Amino acid sequence: MKTSEKLIILAGAAKYDASCSSSGSNRNSDGDGTGNAAESGICHSWSADGRCISLLKILMSNDCLFDCRYCLSRRSNSQERATFTSEEIASLTINFYLRNYIEGLFLSSAVYASPDKTMADMIEVCRLLRHKHAFNGYIHLKIIPGAAADLVQQAGFLADRLSVNIEFPSEASLKRLAPQKSKMSILAPMKQIGDNFTGFQLERKKSRNSPVFCPGGQSTQMIIGASGESDFQILNLTESLYNKMSLKRVYYSAYIAVNEGLYLPALTTAPPLLREHRLYQADWLLRFYKFQAHEILSPAFPNLDDRLDPKAAWALRNFDLFPIDINRASYEELLRIPGVGILSARRIIKTRRVAAIREQDLKKIGLVLKRAKYFITINGKYPARSSLSHHQLVDAMCRAESPAARKLLQNSRQLRLF
Amino acid sequence: MDTTIYLHDGSFEGLLHAVAAAVKSKEGVKGIYAENGYSRQIFDRHIRIQTDGQQALRLFDYLKKLKGSAARYALNGYLSDDRDVGIHLYWLVRECLARGPQATELYTHDSIRYLDKLSQKVGKEAHRLTGLIRFRILEDGLQYAPFESDCNVISYCARHFRKRLKNRQWILHDIRRNYALYWDCSSLQEIAIEDDFTKHVRQYGELPDARISHDEQLYQALWKSFHAAIDNKDRKNIELQRRLMPRRYWKYLSEMRD
Repeated sequence: MKTSEKLIILAGAAKYDASCSSSGSNRNSDGDGTGNAAESGICHSWSADGRCISLLKILMSNDCLFDCRYCLSRRSNSQERATFTSEEIASLTINFYLRNYIEGLFLSSAVYASPDKTMADMIEVCRLLRHKHAFNGYIHLKIIPGAAADLVQQAGFLADRLSVNIEFPSEASLKRLAPQKSKMSILAPMKQIGDNFTGFQLERKKSRNSPVFCPGGQSTQMIIGASGESDFQILNLTESLYNKMSLKRVYYSAYIAVNEGLYLPALTTAPPLLREHRLYQADWLLRFYKFQAHEILSPAFPNLDDRLDPKAAWALRNFDLFPIDINRASYEELLRIPGVGILSARRIIKTRRVAAIREQDLKKIGLVLKRAKYFITINGKYPARSSLSHHQLVDAMCRAESPAARKLLQNSRQLRLF
Repeated sequence: MDTTIYLHDGSFEGLLHAVAAAVKSKEGVKGIYAENGYSRQIFDRHIRIQTDGQQALRLFDYLKKLKGSAARYALNGYLSDDRDVGIHLYWLVRECLARGPQATELYTHDSIRYLDKLSQKVGKEAHRLTGLIRFRILEDGLQYAPFESDCNVISYCARHFRKRLKNRQWILHDIRRNYALYWDCSSLQEIAIEDDFTKHVRQYGELPDARISHDEQLYQALWKSFHAAIDNKDRKNIELQRRLMPRRYWKYLSEMRD
């Protein structure tokens, strides 16, 4: 089979992986090598689904021995199968990289032999790139569940980022939908990577000569909407992945119904894009806004509100904490106000050091007044009408949602009619 | 009366010197412009600055000493090719002289906000282009990348690629400003590109057929098919794609061509 045909099959099969990030690593260009990694990450193109293309995202093979129910490449599907040679992948990567199409490689694979053999072959590709081609660009390597610990270790010394897909938010769903994968085979390498990542980072602080282990950290992905877990379960899991396994990112992937089968949503089900969007907003609150999962959801309210971003929903539930005075509040308090982002909170702090903020300044600073006005006072004045009932407030906040979120909401409601 | 207008030669030093001169003068300042493309109005008083590098440097050193990003505001403001950057720099300096060095972070000040936005625009476009620039590899290994940008970001891009592709010879060519930089594996220099060649690239967004190697064609085709294969049809969102990668950048992207 020609490389070009393989590329179409194996990129097509890799498109269900959500991540395409190339950030977090600052690998230098050395000696005769090609390339470096940009700490901030760089997007090189965007596909028609609006997602950024930063890495050559491909599977090594889609010839899978496993039969995970949700997966397009499962054994029982009659698919065209293909497997790249390591030299093919290395040459594609280098040639794309030199033309500045990509930041590097994101290599994943179906389990086409034993997990160890598959993992070893993927590591071989990295070795070829790093050593034979002296490639210093970004490599994101997927860890195959069940791969031996020493292979995971080798992978960490070659790649910029590693990821193990957790696939489902609970062990029961994993058993049901991916019977050949086990919780242990996923969590063990995750923990190993997390420990090594922090360990080698500490080593680096002591000595510049100690090796770099997976400098971009690790990420994972879970499928949303193919199993019955609540957003509360998902968010709690996300939080413990950040805190206990030192993950850099948790990705959510709205389930796209590609297979028919027991335990799966019907083929006509649309991917739950709105739910995915709300979960990402909640994830942002955990990572950047100093929220905790139990503040956002609770057993009594286990799912995110379709109509509202989670921060607005939290603020409405805790309306007694407001209004907050823009000229007095701390940075942490400012971050809790709907319509105030990280940038505008920082600007408020900086501007206040020079001069007090006036009502007419609020828009200039970049805070979204149509959301924030219900939650703030400015020099003793409350900028919104003060006699709104809770119901009216919720209504106003729904109307103040971003156009993108409102469109998602509209689409999700339309589809439900069928 | 705010009627004095300072004119400079359009260089970065010229801009800085003009701003410095305006700050020093006791009279009101109406505008600070590059001479080229400016049409004089009859009731205004004009002062044409003869650029003095020392004067410019003194102001630049002062800006660097201020808190925050004042020096970057000046440089990026210049690179943005914005017509009004001079007067806003003037107001920034005046504000800092009056309120102290931390006034550069006074985001509620119209001129400071204006400069911050310009600076972000330049930084954002430079970053965007480090991703959207596409090299064509010629038969002899020389890499050539044409692009068109709103702001003058070629120097930022060159700084990025001299680290990344330091062992390759390459040319970055800003087609809109017809300005090209050549990296010969050890130094960066300005280079003149043939007019006929530039004209062809500007018209078709691609090199003349005779200059495209077989390999180059092959990889452009592979990239295009990868770009199509990685698209998730069930998540189609053209609007988002257009917002993140505006149409004006498509001309030199082989994957976006029909």
